[in-house]
Amino acid sequence: MARVSLKNIVGKKNEINTAVLALMDQLKKATWIEDENGKLLLGNPTKTPGSSFSVTLDNEIIGWVKGDENSLMIANLLAYLVQKEAEKKKLGTEVLNLYQELNVIYNFSEQLTQTIDPDVIAQLTLEQAIHSIPSHSGVIVLWNEEKKHLAVPARSGEQLFNEEHLRHNPGVLLKIGLSGQSEIITDLSLLKEKGIIENDVHSLIYAAMKVKHRIMGAIILAGKNIEQYSAAHLKLLVTLALQSSTAIESAMLYEKNIREAREREEAMLRIHEVTKKFVPHEFIRSLGKETLTDVKLGDQVEKIVTVLFTDIRDFTTLSEKMTPEENFHFVSSFNARLGPVIRSNNGFINQYLGDSIMAIFPENPEDALRAAVGMQKAVHELNKERKELGLPSIRAGIGMHTGSLIMGITGDEFRMDAATISDTVNTAARIESLTKYYKSPLLLSDHTLQYLNGQNNFQFRHLGSVKLKGKNNLLSIVECINGFEELLFERKLQTLSQFNEAMNLYHDQQFENALQLFQTILTNDPDDLTANYFLTNTKKYLREGVPKNWTGTEEMVSK
Amino acid sequence: MEQKILIVDDEAHIRMLIEQTLEELEDEGVEFLTAENGEIALDIIQKENPKLVFLDVMMPKMNGMEVCRRVKKELGLNNVFIVLLTAKGQELDRQRGQEVGADVYMTKPFDPEIILTKAKEVLGIE
Repeated sequence: MARVSLKNIVGKKNEINTAVLALMDQLKKATWIEDENGKLLLGNPTKTPGSSFSVTLDNEIIGWVKGDENSLMIANLLAYLVQKEAEKKKLGTEVLNLYQELNVIYNFSEQLTQTIDPDVIAQLTLEQAIHSIPSHSGVIVLWNEEKKHLAVPARSGEQLFNEEHLRHNPGVLLKIGLSGQSEIITDLSLLKEKGIIENDVHSLIYAAMKVKHRIMGAIILAGKNIEQYSAAHLKLLVTLALQSSTAIESAMLYEKNIREAREREEAMLRIHEVTKKFVPHEFIRSLGKETLTDVKLGDQVEKIVTVLFTDIRDFTTLSEKMTPEENFHFVSSFNARLGPVIRSNNGFINQYLGDSIMAIFPENPEDALRAAVGMQKAVHELNKERKELGLPSIRAGIGMHTGSLIMGITGDEFRMDAATISDTVNTAARIESLTKYYKSPLLLSDHTLQYLNGQNNFQFRHLGSVKLKGKNNLLSIVECINGFEELLFERKLQTLSQFNEAMNLYHDQQFENALQLFQTILTNDPDDLTANYFLTNTKKYLREGVPKNWTGTEEMVSK
Repeated sequence: MEQKILIVDDEAHIRMLIEQTLEELEDEGVEFLTAENGEIALDIIQKENPKLVFLDVMMPKMNGMEVCRRVKKELGLNNVFIVLLTAKGQELDRQRGQEVGADVYMTKPFDPEIILTKAKEVLGIE
């Protein structure tokens, strides 16, 4: 800072200079002004001065007025002018300091808007504090009331704070730093005793960080000099603490909100994942909805699908021999094997009904056929395992039908369920039960056959038509032989054309020829139970004749 | 060598503050001139040829932009380093400032440290 010097006041051409010069002129030019070293500043010196008066400022000589008796008057005037100038300068410096502080607070506010990370805010605050309030070291401590835990999110400068000791002495800090007060301390004995600060620290300044009435933490700065901090420093630190505490609070709240939102989202996702396992996702999708929560009472859709039923032959007899637990286990493992086969063929399981599974194939009947063949193979595998364990084999029947189906949400406001309602379902179920009757493990209707793509890798045997109980229309039944084990399949493949021809003869009531053909088939394939069934019928009709109005259709007397 | 700094602002406290900030340059022989409006500023620039001018934008009679434009574009006095000062929030003027040929653009409240550093740089001191 430039000292107030006489040179600055009268040495340069300015208003004061002009006025003083004019004054000296009036006084017969018999006075002159020198600086403290005797260098001439203003006026014309004569050879020897009559008088010599010093001009002082704060007890320091800054110049001389020499000349005649008027010198005293000039000296006093100059002393006054110099005093005023010094006061003006002092005021100016103070205002400048305030202006600088203002600038700091402005910039700091702006910086705070740039980030929402609490740790970054803490670091910014500390750096600003140390920059504006020269210190050797500083820390910010944050107190978590819930967890009773002290955190140190920011540190700067030399290593004058021992964070270990800081964290383990929250009690001491509650008096200093976390007391909610802001002050300058010079008695640091307690803190040094606990090893919280180094011995070469001689003054400490801290400001509490508060939000409403809760004490969040504090900014603490340390200096090695005794008189390092002033009241002005304290005021600035308090302002910085105030600004940063609200910013940190908001940032932490924001983080908390984000975290909670994410947790809610994850919970929702888990729920969705689980609901998919209870109500097939495909079902919900077919209704044009994405999740179970979107679905409402009355939602429905009509679609042409293939419905497939499967169940375990003679399950009742089997289950009698098992305990309820064994029963459950048995059915469960059966289902567990078949489920994946259905799913990997674009189907979904609509319902488990005891030992029976109802599956829907919304896309293509070929999917259902493939699944059926796959399921039969799975049963063969199971039987191999059962044989090794000395258990009897299981036989499963599969029946399918293709037609229109309505899938929808039925029930009432408090109890809803996904339901499938249509004739197609009933028909499919009836066809499945025909598997017992025809002694064939895999049956489908001609409807399904119609919907099938002509180019397929399956072989079929036509089993004539049936008139299901309680229905008027005839249904043609077809057997798919691809599910049989190797040997049996080969044989059936060989006798395929013979079988279909035999069925035509049978339908035309040419029983003699039919009989012969069936017998030939059975000679080649004694295990053909279906062929055997028709052979028995043929013999019966030959013996007793056909019933009146017999059209080759089997009348189903029971479901 | 005597170098001159001209401080132009209609607010007395700003003129005083800038002078206060640059006080130490007085020891280096720098002379401070002040003006409280654009017209007076233009006059002083032409007569005194200051090396550095701090020029407030928002002033009555003639604003800082106009002064700058006349000095740089009309009079072609390119050895006069002009720092435009404006209140925060008028940042759009930055581009306008470039157009009128200002050398530097600063916002108020100004950062005293930056003002001092810039002045030393322009005057070639320290």
